[in-house]
Amino acid sequence: MKINQVLSSIIREIRQKSLEEREHSRKIVSWVEDHRLITGAGKALVLILPTKGCSWALSESGGCSICGYIYDNPQQPNYDDMLTSFKEILNQKIEKKLKYSLKLFTSGSFLDLKEIPLEIQKEMMKETAKYEQIEEIVLESRPEYITESVLDNIAQNIEISKIEIAIGLESANDNILQNSINKGFFWNDFVKAVTKIQNKGARVKTYLLFKPPFISEFDSIGDILKSISKVIELGVKTISINAMSIHRGTLLSELFEKKMYRTPWLWSLLYLCREIKKEYPGIRLICDIVAGGSERGAHNCGECDKEIISILKEFTLNQDTKILDEAINCSCKTEWKSFLFNEKISNSELLDIY
Amino acid sequence: MRFFQPLLQYGFTRLLAETRTRTHLSPGIIAIEKPDEQKGYSAFFNTILPPSYSSLKEPFTLNWIIPENKKEKALTNSFNLPFQPFYSATVNSELSERDFETYTNNFLGLEDIEKQIYILPIDFIESSYLDLVLKSDVSFITLLGLNRIFNNQRKLAYTLVNLKEKIPPDIAIYLSGAVSPAYFSFLIYLGIDFFDNSLAYKISKNGYFAQEDKLYPINNHPRCFCRYCSEKDPDLLGHNELVMKNEIAKIRFALEEGTIRELVEKDIHRSVTFAATLKHLDKNYSDSFSQRTPVISSSKLKCIGEESLYNPSILEYRQRIRTRFKPQMYKKIILLLPCSAKKPYSFSRSHIQFRTAIKKAGKRVFSALSEIIITSPLSVVPRELENIYPPRFYDIPVAGIWSEEEISITSELLLDVLSQFPKESIIINHMHGHGYEQIIENIREKSSLEIIDTSAEKSPTSPESLKKLSEVLTSINPRLGAHEINSTPSRISNLKTVADYQFGNDTGDILFSNNIKIKGKYPKNLQVFRDKRLIATVSSKTGFLSILPDVAQEIVDKTLVKLEFGAEYVSGSNIYAPGCIHADENIHPDDEIFIINNNQVIATARALVSGLDMNKMTSGSLAEVKKKLKVKR
Repeated sequence: MKINQVLSSIIREIRQKSLEEREHSRKIVSWVEDHRLITGAGKALVLILPTKGCSWALSESGGCSICGYIYDNPQQPNYDDMLTSFKEILNQKIEKKLKYSLKLFTSGSFLDLKEIPLEIQKEMMKETAKYEQIEEIVLESRPEYITESVLDNIAQNIEISKIEIAIGLESANDNILQNSINKGFFWNDFVKAVTKIQNKGARVKTYLLFKPPFISEFDSIGDILKSISKVIELGVKTISINAMSIHRGTLLSELFEKKMYRTPWLWSLLYLCREIKKEYPGIRLICDIVAGGSERGAHNCGECDKEIISILKEFTLNQDTKILDEAINCSCKTEWKSFLFNEKISNSELLDIY
Repeated sequence: MRFFQPLLQYGFTRLLAETRTRTHLSPGIIAIEKPDEQKGYSAFFNTILPPSYSSLKEPFTLNWIIPENKKEKALTNSFNLPFQPFYSATVNSELSERDFETYTNNFLGLEDIEKQIYILPIDFIESSYLDLVLKSDVSFITLLGLNRIFNNQRKLAYTLVNLKEKIPPDIAIYLSGAVSPAYFSFLIYLGIDFFDNSLAYKISKNGYFAQEDKLYPINNHPRCFCRYCSEKDPDLLGHNELVMKNEIAKIRFALEEGTIRELVEKDIHRSVTFAATLKHLDKNYSDSFSQRTPVISSSKLKCIGEESLYNPSILEYRQRIRTRFKPQMYKKIILLLPCSAKKPYSFSRSHIQFRTAIKKAGKRVFSALSEIIITSPLSVVPRELENIYPPRFYDIPVAGIWSEEEISITSELLLDVLSQFPKESIIINHMHGHGYEQIIENIREKSSLEIIDTSAEKSPTSPESLKKLSEVLTSINPRLGAHEINSTPSRISNLKTVADYQFGNDTGDILFSNNIKIKGKYPKNLQVFRDKRLIATVSSKTGFLSILPDVAQEIVDKTLVKLEFGAEYVSGSNIYAPGCIHADENIHPDDEIFIINNNQVIATARALVSGLDMNKMTSGSLAEVKKKLKVKR
């Protein structure tokens, strides 16, 4: 049993209220950003494909307690339009003298045939293979869609070693997967998927979620450290720590509004990067911050937020720990420490009597 | 075996010590990480903030600060926190209830020695699972969810009283989070034992500069000259810690001195919510407090605010006057007198003057006279009890203005006391002033006894009033009829009244009849001889009695301070919980109690906690043995 039925039914109820309001169709959203490739600095071209969205989020399970990406997906995708526009964007945005990482996101699983049929996957890979500048292709997927046949389909149409499949593991702890996130799969399912990918010659990127609901920031730091060790043992070399941000229409958002959840401190992220890189200097560690500096994203006291966010960005880009070790001081640092303690002991029922 | 031993109890407040070394630990502050300076802390969490790869391997423990040379002797030096509930109680009741059950079952499955820290959300105080946990050796409860009811004084009072009535006094309660030291005393009064120092860490731009009575914004506060603030670069965390430590030290001192209630009455003025909460406690839950409050004491009792009308010691006093004060049948003249600032009253100028005026009326009148002092907040003090606590120790700001509440409480008790006197008794009212007049007015309305005023026109100490007092008393003499001069010296009748007050009705007559001699003079303890044998002493400090075990045997059926013991004789100097079969619920902390076996008094002892709580404790000492019955072998 990979689902906590009570938790799942609470999430489903919240999900159903919000799902109705989705648009019917939408275009591909895309942008180019600076990115560190394996071979050095370059660009990333990011495409958000308007599929019908994550099957797990649409299922009876209610999906993940923290994820509201599904609300951005259209109800009826048009694959012909999608493919045409895919080709146009590549044509427009890929410049000759630069090197690229192409990131194909669907807010769900690229490899899920309900989201992108095998034929469309094939066409997209074929088209991508035409561009030499594209050195890396990142596809996101839940483990259950990573099958032999889907991987073979990709391998037949593009050089497989260029492929990196990103899996949102979130945590290597089954208890957290089940009782906090409602992820629907366990650590072992992740291991099987990783093995399949590696056997085919592709790479794996893993997302870990920093501070899912019901887990104190203190315990979540511990969980990230432990999860990193387990993931690295599998041979995964790129790990992205995603700091929790609040998506509307989720259980997490309700907890946040009831003041039972605080998004993570930037101090914690700074600390995590330093501690992990000290232990595992060889890995590529990405610290992704959405809505940084605001109440709904990772934030500190407001005085030091900008500085720390820029440090983390710079670190992610060039993987140099020197910048992390520079002394950054703010009077909220002690407050962060006491918060870590209080939130752990009080199970998020923070007591303040002034 | 539990880690804590209560050494003192005042209501829900206890002084808790490590059980084997008697290291005082509560009320106290716990540091949330290992402090540089351990002085002033009771314990610290060994937390590394934030956790690191190396600290993840270490267990999460709470380490008690016990002197080096005692560490080995202590039951343990640290507690483990092996696991916690997963869901907060506010998430969803179905989720959290199941989770709480799982958590509790896991907790109960631990080895006894590991069952130390239990986490209790207030939502589950009435859960039957808590009862199971309380049967274990758990020593430390972390209470969660109080933040939700802090602005609801009724719920706050109800919740904490409910919890504290349930749990034995040797389990400590820890409130984790940022708590202003301004509220420490009140929360400790409510039975909280430990706070942590997390408030001290709040020194960002939104943080706090702590003072004992108030928190100030970090950038706008009065100057402070403590050593942390005097540094070139002020250490605000150090300053905040110092203020918190000093506040705890002050409260612990008040607890040991017996003046915690007085401190609380003063400190609640720091918060309107807590001031309101104290009113609820006093009005609705006063029994829970007074049953756990010492009757025998020698601490000064300052009664400044209107809250002191409901001081648990004073409530218990009034209750005992109502139920245990029985005037001798030959007392037919009731003289009502005003109180004096000096205590005991007899030592005051005014009362010496009254005594002189009374004596002019002759011995026959004097022996029929019962003197009753009317005062707030005690209401009624019979002369016989002027040497005990609280009458000898209280102090009030005298403005001569009585509140409606004081008048009604005093009138009611006085009426009850008057109803104990013979129907033909005469009241002489030698009091003057508005409040006293109102009380007498109420008496006139509800009592059929005759009242003669002797100080209506002028103050009671005026020559005119004193003269009138002598004259009226003299004129009453013929009306006493066949009254015989009772030869019982007042010192002996005082003893009888004190015995009834202390041990229960009728005990005074049993103990102090026959040939009684009292030896000794203040400030020495009085020695009471009966048929030339020493049977009791009267503490000059408290005014209360100590009696020998074989003498206590005489009143064993009447007394309300018995502890039934499971063995035929007491060994050692403590009565431990496993030996206690049942303790009278009337036992108050510090009471002189009788240890009985098979209805035989085998020792006397001093209670450490209330009788109610003795019955709840499963380990530790309940009382300290004073005298054991000498058995001829």
